[in-house]
Amino acid sequence: MVSPAIALAFLPLLITLLIRYRYYFVLLYRAVLVRWVQDLLTGLSREERAFQYILTHSIPGDPQSILDTFDHWCSKVEFISNIGPKKGKILDRLLEEIRPLTVLELGTHCGYSTVRIARSLPLGARLYSIEMHEKNAQIAEKIIRLAGFDDDTVELVVSPSDEVIPRLREDYGVEHLDFVFMDHWKRCYLPDLQLLEGSGLLGEGSVVLADNVVFPGAPNFLRYVRNSGLYELRLHRASLEYIRGIRDGMAELVHRGVK
Amino acid sequence: MPRHKLVASESDVSIEVDADFTEDRVREVKNERNPKAKERDTKRKLEIHKTTEQKTENKKRKRSHSKQRGKRNIDDEDKGGEQISKQKKNRKNKKTKKLLTEEAEGEGYITKQKKKRRPQVDEENANATKQMTPEGPPKKKKRAKVQVESSSESEDSSSEKESSEEEEWKVTALTPEELEKLKEAVDEKKKLITILRGKPWPMLKKLQTLKESHDFLEKFEGALGKGKAKKLYAYKVMMLKRWMKFQRDFENFKTACIPWEMKIKDIESHFGSSVASYFIFLRWMYGINMILFGLTFGLVMVPEALMGKPYGSMPRKTVPRAEQASAMDFAVLWDFGGYAKYSVLFYGYYNSQRAIGWLKFRMPLSYFLVGVGTVAYSYMVVIRTMARNANEQGGGDDTNFNFSWKMFTSWDYLIGNPETADNKFASITTSFKEAIVEEQESRKDDNIHLTRFFRVLANFLVLCCLAGSGYLIYFVVRRSQKFALEGLENYGWWERNEVNMVMSLLGMFCPMLFDVISNLENYHPRIALQWQLGRIFALFLGNLYTFIIALMDEINLKRKEEETVKLNMTVWMANLHNGTLAENSTAPPITADPADVPRGPCWETMVGQEFVRLIISDTMTTYITLLIGDFLRAVMVRFFNYCWCWDLEYGFPSYSEFDVSGNVLGLIFNQGMIWMGAFYAPCLPALNVLRLHVSMYLQCWAVMCCNVPQERVFKASGSNNFYMAMLLVILFLSTLPAIYTIVSIPPSFDCGPFSGKNRMFDVIQETLEMDFPAWFGKVFSYASNPGLVLPFLLLMVLAIYYLQSTSKTYKKANAELKKKLQAQNEENKKKNKRAALKASDPEEARNSASEQQWHQINNNASKKEMDTWGCERGQNQHVTTCTRQSAAVKRQCGPADLHNPSTRPPPAQRNPATHGYLPGNPHQPSLRMQRTSSLKLQ
Repeated sequence: MVSPAIALAFLPLLITLLIRYRYYFVLLYRAVLVRWVQDLLTGLSREERAFQYILTHSIPGDPQSILDTFDHWCSKVEFISNIGPKKGKILDRLLEEIRPLTVLELGTHCGYSTVRIARSLPLGARLYSIEMHEKNAQIAEKIIRLAGFDDDTVELVVSPSDEVIPRLREDYGVEHLDFVFMDHWKRCYLPDLQLLEGSGLLGEGSVVLADNVVFPGAPNFLRYVRNSGLYELRLHRASLEYIRGIRDGMAELVHRGVK
Repeated sequence: MPRHKLVASESDVSIEVDADFTEDRVREVKNERNPKAKERDTKRKLEIHKTTEQKTENKKRKRSHSKQRGKRNIDDEDKGGEQISKQKKNRKNKKTKKLLTEEAEGEGYITKQKKKRRPQVDEENANATKQMTPEGPPKKKKRAKVQVESSSESEDSSSEKESSEEEEWKVTALTPEELEKLKEAVDEKKKLITILRGKPWPMLKKLQTLKESHDFLEKFEGALGKGKAKKLYAYKVMMLKRWMKFQRDFENFKTACIPWEMKIKDIESHFGSSVASYFIFLRWMYGINMILFGLTFGLVMVPEALMGKPYGSMPRKTVPRAEQASAMDFAVLWDFGGYAKYSVLFYGYYNSQRAIGWLKFRMPLSYFLVGVGTVAYSYMVVIRTMARNANEQGGGDDTNFNFSWKMFTSWDYLIGNPETADNKFASITTSFKEAIVEEQESRKDDNIHLTRFFRVLANFLVLCCLAGSGYLIYFVVRRSQKFALEGLENYGWWERNEVNMVMSLLGMFCPMLFDVISNLENYHPRIALQWQLGRIFALFLGNLYTFIIALMDEINLKRKEEETVKLNMTVWMANLHNGTLAENSTAPPITADPADVPRGPCWETMVGQEFVRLIISDTMTTYITLLIGDFLRAVMVRFFNYCWCWDLEYGFPSYSEFDVSGNVLGLIFNQGMIWMGAFYAPCLPALNVLRLHVSMYLQCWAVMCCNVPQERVFKASGSNNFYMAMLLVILFLSTLPAIYTIVSIPPSFDCGPFSGKNRMFDVIQETLEMDFPAWFGKVFSYASNPGLVLPFLLLMVLAIYYLQSTSKTYKKANAELKKKLQAQNEENKKKNKRAALKASDPEEARNSASEQQWHQINNNASKKEMDTWGCERGQNQHVTTCTRQSAAVKRQCGPADLHNPSTRPPPAQRNPATHGYLPGNPHQPSLRMQRTSSLKLQ
């Protein structure tokens, strides 16, 4: 029988852990507990709730307003791991610099990042967005249309990424990708990058931007990129979307071209 | 035959021609020879006629000849075709005599043997001319000669090789032109060596060229002297080189002799000086403990073990009957009971016999003096080290050229080992990081009120935490006393070890909490470390004193028990005597078996045991935390990272950092316990030496294998003295209770070296009375008279006061001088700038600037100035390397700097400003410097 005094001696440890990892606890609360409770209460999925909120609170046809509403909902009401406003700025800047004509997005989720990318694309550019889940894709489609982007600008593909990538060339007529944005399952980053390499869609100057490489993190992906020598890697450090204090980063890979 | 044609014909590899040539040449030479040579020649001729006995002589001559040949080769190297004729003439003077003899002897069978000889001769030639530049004619000539001589007699190539080594020292006399040429060549090679580093060649070529040039220099530098001086010079050079090599080896040897030096350097280069300072402190501690161990072991334990009464001869040296059954059990021994308790390891085993063995060793006196001596020695060492450290702190705080200095003078060109180079690289980058943090700290100004509020809040929280932990320990100790009263046998392991457990758990977890709280305060890491140290110090001190108070209670209990035992003892003795007397009255008083004799509780041994147990459990906790908290965590992070859903290395568990403050304090408190307990358990220093030794290796390994460097690496300057100050405080605090027990509590009546005395220090008085002449005792008693002691103390206080005030004045004067120097420096800088601006045409500017430069150097006599100036002088070559270097540095610093964008602004305006007064072009370099320094931080 352990005496209470010994148990009390563990109190400082407990407090230390609580303080040191407080942001992670907050994240746990908002991303898991609140979602679970709300699911039970409303009977809707998280994405549907987000869509309802946006539908009622934003101006249709104005991407900025939709993004702002999204940010507000994610930071004040519930939590969805979009790219967020801060990392979104990095994304915007990159798109301004590159001005890509063909863009591939892996992981549409609710369409936040799709809207974000689509609004800073040059005229005549085309964005292929891939989403695995049917339900999410429906909501994303609605949000994209709400923002005012038509089929010519944004093409939503509902299918797992590893099935779509090999077929991009023949089914969609893509010859070369200028910009790839990865924000789906962190575990799929590496295989998808290898698939992209294998299909020959990446050429010199192609940019791959991968979100959340530090938290939740994609160590294998980073290791592969560092060792392959095909890319110039830049790590943009920032904090996790909508939550302060958790470090996160985006990896920007510039393809050096095959010599 | 004209000379040039001859040369041309020589290049054909025809032996007949060669043979002809030799004859021809001999004849020619005869005509040209000077009178002296003629004389010799005629002598030779006479000798030749004597023929056959000369064969033996011939051999010797040949040897010298081959030497000459070697020199000739050397000469040949630098000369063009036109010079060859001259050289040949010179040479011929000396050669002809040999040639003549050889001619005379060999002519007959040259043709017979030459074909057979050919391959061997070629080989020899190859040996001799290996390093030579390919020049046809001289070689051919030589070959011819070699053939001639080789044909004359069978010769061993080994002798030739032997002699070729000597060749280097003797070079034939040279004409002035040749000397000139040689000098030029030597100078050229020297120049090449100096500028080799900057050449855009591949490394392999550089190395090759370097080696060749070195060889060349080695050979010919000595040749510039004459005759004997040449030899002497060569000898001197050789000795100088050997001496230098010896010195270097000796330095290496010295470093190798410093224990763990390489390990610590390795750690320092990877983790920065703060982590290294812990290990240096550990090593220093180890040294002190070695001396303490030597004292106790040599003067107390060994004499008692060798000359004292053996085990089992007395009650105090025997395990009591009741405990004998379990005295050898591991559990008991691990707890330092049983046989371990009744051994030299503890106070109770020692006998109070005044002198032991044939040496008449005064055991009790020695025990007492060693106890006092260890503490006195510790005080002395700590204070001396503190004073020395304070001295070091005074000098060299000139931070004017911090970055440029680091940039240009960091690399150590003596490094030859790639691993060491790696380490050096790491250490340079860490030192840059440290400097940047320092710089950043000096120019930080935030919202001071908010920071202050947070600091107060943090201290309040820490105080609450300390109070809580103090109360918890107090509670546990009270509870354990209750358990002890009721008998420990009724309780389980948890209850019995509750106090230890709670203490070590609190000691482990509270510092973590403090660390988290100190994040609020936003101090510079070094100051934060000191705060952290202070807080943990308070915590540990509380724990220690709670422990001591509990121990005091225990001592009082034991002493009460002793009283009852004393009473029982008399009863028991009476019974024993009665019983034996009744049986047989004739026998002398029968002694009972020492195991059966009732004995007192011996509180001293109990105290010693407690301390030993505490040390052991502390060590165990440290090692286990190390293994679990660092090693297992690192293993987990490393290998689970392959199959985990988030990045373990960057994210949640991550690798641990080395906890400098916790480790230092652990060390200090450990030492405090040693000082406290060493009087009652002489084995403590030995245990501590063992522990320090093991932890040195274990922690070095753990740091290198499973820790990551701190995110903010900082310099540890000054923290060393902080450690020392804490050590001093602990020393004082730990000697207090020890002295209290020695002075105020009477020793146990039946154990230990002081048994039977009223107080422990009575042993001094006893020695004075018995071992010293009577007058000495008298003098001592006079001297210890308060009337004498008080004035003496007063005098001492006055002296200390005087010394302190003088040192303060000196310090003030020093600061004043430093300020003056700095002001002068600034003034000069301004003057230089003005002069440089005023001077319109570059020539004038150069003059004035260089004048100013010299002026300034003379004024300051400062080494740093010289350094930077020297650096600037070679600017044209250096700038490219500088920028490259800074780019490398930037790359290295990059990831760390990205966390805190406030590192971005370029460091100091003063850096660029200092370079405004260069000789030559006064403005450009400063711009360059600015560029490099800003590059450093982008």
